[in-house]
Amino acid sequence: MTTKIIGKPQDRVDGKLKVTGRAMYAGDRRMENLAYGYLLTSTVAKGSIRAMDTGAAERMRGVLAVYSPFNPLKLYHGLESSEGASSGEIQPPLQDARILNYGQIIGLVVAESFEQARDAAALVTTQYDEDNPVASWETGMQKAFTPEAVGGESATTKILSEGVSSIDDAIKDSPIVLDVTYREPIQHHNPMEPHATTAEWHGDRLTIYDATQGVVAHRLDVAAVLGIDEDLVRVLCPFVGGGFGCKGSMWMFSPLTAAAARALDRPVKTILTREQMFTLVGHRPALIQQLTLGANPDGTLQAVKHDVRSTVSFSKPFVEAAAHRTSRFLYKSPNIQVSHTLVPWDVGGPTFMRAPGCAPGMFALECAMDELAVKLRIDPIELRTKNNAEVFPGKNVPWSSKNLVECYQLGAQKFGWSKRNPEPGAIRDGDWLVGMGMASALYPAHRSRASVKVRLQADGTAQVSSATQDLGTGTWTVLAIVGADSLGLPIEKIRPELGDSALPHAPTSGGSTSVASVTPAVQRATESAKRKLIQVVVRDKKSPFFAMRPEEVVYRDGKIEGGGMSADFGSVLNAIGRSAVEAVETAEPGEEEERYAFHSFGAQFCELKVNRWTGEVRLQRITSVMDIGTVVNLKAARSQIIGGIVFGLGMALMEGSVLDEKTGRYGNANFADYLVAVNADVPDMDVYFIDKPDTIFNPLGARGIGEIGITGMPASIANAVYNATGKRVRDFPILPEKLLPVGLNQPAISMVESI
Amino acid sequence: MEPPADSRPDHKDGSSRREFIRRLAAISAGLTVAAPLGRAGTITEKRALNDEPPKTDGAGGLMEIALNVNGNTERLVVDPRVTLLDALRDRFDLTGTKKGCDRGACGACTVHLDGRRVLSCLTLAVMAQRKKITTIEGLATGDELHPVQAAFIECDGFQCGYCTPGQIMSAVACISEGHTGSDSEIREYMSGNLCRCGAYPNIVAAVKTAAAKMKGEVN
Amino acid sequence: MRPFTYELPSGVSEAANLGRPDSAFIAGGTTIVDLMKLEVVKPSRVVDINALSMRGIEMSTDGLRIGALEKMSDTALHPEVVANYPVISEALLKSASAQIRNMASIGGNLLQRTRCGYFRDVNTPCNKREPGSGCPAIDGENRMHAILGTSSSCVATHPSDLAVALVALDASVRLQSASGERLVKLDDFYLVPDSTPHRENQLLPGELITEIRVPRLAWATRSTYLKIRDRESYEFSLASAAVALDVNGDQIQDARVAVGGVGTKPWNLPKVREALTGKPLAQETFAAAAKLAGDGAVPLKRNAFKVDLVQRTIIRALMTLGGLA
Repeated sequence: MTTKIIGKPQDRVDGKLKVTGRAMYAGDRRMENLAYGYLLTSTVAKGSIRAMDTGAAERMRGVLAVYSPFNPLKLYHGLESSEGASSGEIQPPLQDARILNYGQIIGLVVAESFEQARDAAALVTTQYDEDNPVASWETGMQKAFTPEAVGGESATTKILSEGVSSIDDAIKDSPIVLDVTYREPIQHHNPMEPHATTAEWHGDRLTIYDATQGVVAHRLDVAAVLGIDEDLVRVLCPFVGGGFGCKGSMWMFSPLTAAAARALDRPVKTILTREQMFTLVGHRPALIQQLTLGANPDGTLQAVKHDVRSTVSFSKPFVEAAAHRTSRFLYKSPNIQVSHTLVPWDVGGPTFMRAPGCAPGMFALECAMDELAVKLRIDPIELRTKNNAEVFPGKNVPWSSKNLVECYQLGAQKFGWSKRNPEPGAIRDGDWLVGMGMASALYPAHRSRASVKVRLQADGTAQVSSATQDLGTGTWTVLAIVGADSLGLPIEKIRPELGDSALPHAPTSGGSTSVASVTPAVQRATESAKRKLIQVVVRDKKSPFFAMRPEEVVYRDGKIEGGGMSADFGSVLNAIGRSAVEAVETAEPGEEEERYAFHSFGAQFCELKVNRWTGEVRLQRITSVMDIGTVVNLKAARSQIIGGIVFGLGMALMEGSVLDEKTGRYGNANFADYLVAVNADVPDMDVYFIDKPDTIFNPLGARGIGEIGITGMPASIANAVYNATGKRVRDFPILPEKLLPVGLNQPAISMVESI
Repeated sequence: MEPPADSRPDHKDGSSRREFIRRLAAISAGLTVAAPLGRAGTITEKRALNDEPPKTDGAGGLMEIALNVNGNTERLVVDPRVTLLDALRDRFDLTGTKKGCDRGACGACTVHLDGRRVLSCLTLAVMAQRKKITTIEGLATGDELHPVQAAFIECDGFQCGYCTPGQIMSAVACISEGHTGSDSEIREYMSGNLCRCGAYPNIVAAVKTAAAKMKGEVN
Repeated sequence: MRPFTYELPSGVSEAANLGRPDSAFIAGGTTIVDLMKLEVVKPSRVVDINALSMRGIEMSTDGLRIGALEKMSDTALHPEVVANYPVISEALLKSASAQIRNMASIGGNLLQRTRCGYFRDVNTPCNKREPGSGCPAIDGENRMHAILGTSSSCVATHPSDLAVALVALDASVRLQSASGERLVKLDDFYLVPDSTPHRENQLLPGELITEIRVPRLAWATRSTYLKIRDRESYEFSLASAAVALDVNGDQIQDARVAVGGVGTKPWNLPKVREALTGKPLAQETFAAAAKLAGDGAVPLKRNAFKVDLVQRTIIRALMTLGGLA
């Protein structure tokens, strides 16, 4: 191995399968005697089912069963996260007649074909005893409560200077105060691949093909709900058609499908409809965030207060930690207070969505910083630089690696920030007002315990396997790259394996943890496999290295060398009649977690235009600079950042689920009405990496990269919209009507008061 | 090294399974309503037809149709309710074509009918007769990728890969329609294919790269 | 989707005979297959009209004729359409996606159903789908709904862009049934909901649109379609304007203006046209004329902005067309 592979642009090793349609996703599984499941869901948000008429459906040709609360399949409670599970919901469906949210599972039709199941489902009629749901801020606030903890800290966390009795006093004493409130609606992950489960029993053993971000956690959860030993369950998921968090938890349709397969003694496949994706597999909760910043006239922050209210279901707590994961530590301030309140609604449970906490929190914080910069007439980059935190506030530990100021500087230079006119509406392009904006980006770096098996094989290849997942994030390729790098082999010689709960355990792929967690284990397992290889080859009489001392023999770039000899490890294995030598190793974070804080940082810039007549916002160009430690695969890393940016663009300008306050029903639960960005919305963009390895964090120096790309984008857009129009929109998404009338020189036409 | 197409438990019998399904596609006449393949054909057929006489769908009946998919003409008996998308996926085992919304709002199910890109989720299978149907599986020539497929890999025009077959089918048509004059034209003509991973800039690059290659400007 | 029988007639009269109240015609399928899956329409017979001969796009001294089975994509890019009626071409190209435009027929485009979320969800009331059941949109989710031509029973927006352009151009549709054929002005063809929102147009059971006729309008070469939406492509409009201008020097000789995304039918604006005619080509003229577009508007809680937006859309389109942008 002569050339370094880590950090180079590498084509995806699974690319060919994906471009030829041969990559098999959970809903693509076919097997003999397969039956099709179709979920029945509630059409009221609260109450109970009085009666269901399933007769017409049952009489349909091809229908095998109609399960309901009146003909249930026995299911048990899901596990709590403290038990190592990741349950999206705890209560199993069909065990009683209660309705807790609109679109809740109330039945499952199983038939010979998809069409028969779907069309039979439409014939089931359900009668409800209906109660009024809680589905508005006003009604929810009456039942608001404080979460037990937020990310290991108190729901209200204060860092106050000596002699300061409260954050409000610190604000009162600040010469300049900004007090602003930001709102955003529920957002839905909407991966292109709907959730799907294909369940097949072999006796008492279950094989389940599921669209999941965590095969190991899924196995544990499914087994618990089915009431069987997890050793009897195998979860397979070689490809995930996007997750963004909603596939990070187990949702109940999956064990329900498996239970039906058990009852019917044949494999069953259930694929969620796009509409069902809105009520059954989580969402990002709605938020109201109040930011109060106190500063000196020179911009030095004196007080940061960030109060978050986020919605939650009545059945399971979930905290969208928008303040604790942002304002808590991003800027240096002598006084900081973050707080969180949960506001329950009768909706399906919220869950992690791309950059949980950070994406909405940075929208609010980074807009507020821009507003403060305007108020102080300071350049937004200067304000941020001035308040850059060198140590983690309150803990006074340094970051393992932090290059945020460098991100600002490089970004400003690459983007051409100096061309920005701080005066809103100053730059015109015909009928379009041009604006520029920027924001910081931020995401915590996590790693967890992960195991990897490396198998050096007689054909000269090396298998690198772990029960991790590839959500499109590039894990297949990362395993191959790090395996190739550690073994000094060309990447073509590496056989990665993942997405199978039978492989050595790895964490759920969420929170940008997979690369950080799994790659140290790859490195350990390769070292271990090399040692084992040498021990084996010096012991076997047929080996050219027989009887040498292990210290005299080395492994180098696919070859075994010693005593003046050199041979490919494959040929030596062949010579001694061994098919392989393998090693399993586990890596986990150590006590460095006590001494450092771990985060990725970045700076994001955009230029956009707003039509002066009709208020549409169109992005023109985007520049991002990311400080994410070692870049493993430059090509996929850039793609991950681009993907986050597009997600953030959608969040800023179009995404939002419309919940009817009276009925608790989503009014736009489909891809035509829940808008995500299309190709024409997305401009040219540059992505730069600081590429400084964070070897305190892990030996490879790589932090995660899947989520940080979204975090600065919404605020940079909102700030650019302000720069273009002078309008500060604090209520996402920034729809055209919120900008009308746009800017100055408006025609003399009547304005209608919004109701 | 690429990962196995099928995950491990059943990839060893993948080819025979495929053949089994193919065979069934040809002999499926008499199956219960639009019954998907991949089941024990004759036994189920008997069960459906003899053991459950009271069952009925009301109106409608089965139709024997012939579809020309990727150059092969196959006969099958379907209920007219079956969309081309579900016929491809559940009857022909061509699962490369994806279902993202089933409502014509995402483009994941894009295939070609007589060389024109259409949405298979809104096309009834019976209406695709007498047309040449091309799916993602029919694009490459043997092991040689279509230039658009190769460009998608080269430009990293995808992440999770789920929208990718639809994007590629759309991209091939976008090029043949001549809508690659500028980046903004490509963006507009590729806007019927949602990509939640946000690979759009790379998709535009892939379309440009492939268009140039196909014109012979690059070799 | 309910089971149905599939028929493939070879002639118009055969098709018309098969067209009964429980039948649905299908051409491209982009509306009907979607609505059948949603069980919004449940025909027991689906009549495929693609074997009929209702094709061809020709320009004559009378104007333009488009066979009803021509595809949106082919019509949009037809040289005669592009050259003589840019507003038609642009309206089509801003509709849906390339794939859908390859499927959907021109006749079907004019008959597409509203995108109202309550109409499309059989679990909610809807007077259009189930007369007398009520209209939740009036007090519910109505951002995308109409402000013009609404009634207390329905506020659903007509979704076609093409129809807006055609209404502006005073186009007609030829209808054929078993008992004969007739030519109907498209503006008259569409009905406002009043108390019968389930009746959307004049089409009788078994009647087919066979062709579209667009009168010759030499100055329609100066026409455009502006569509305002939340994202850049593949979306229905918040507001749209089909405009044509006949200009002599800095004087407006004549104009055509119709708007979409705001009406229960494609909304023709003869009063705006009158207010433009004979006036100087200037922003003030456009603004004064556009004001009339809001006449009779009934804003709802979430779509009140459309009263303003539709005027702005008209002004912007006229500014572009008048070379003032």
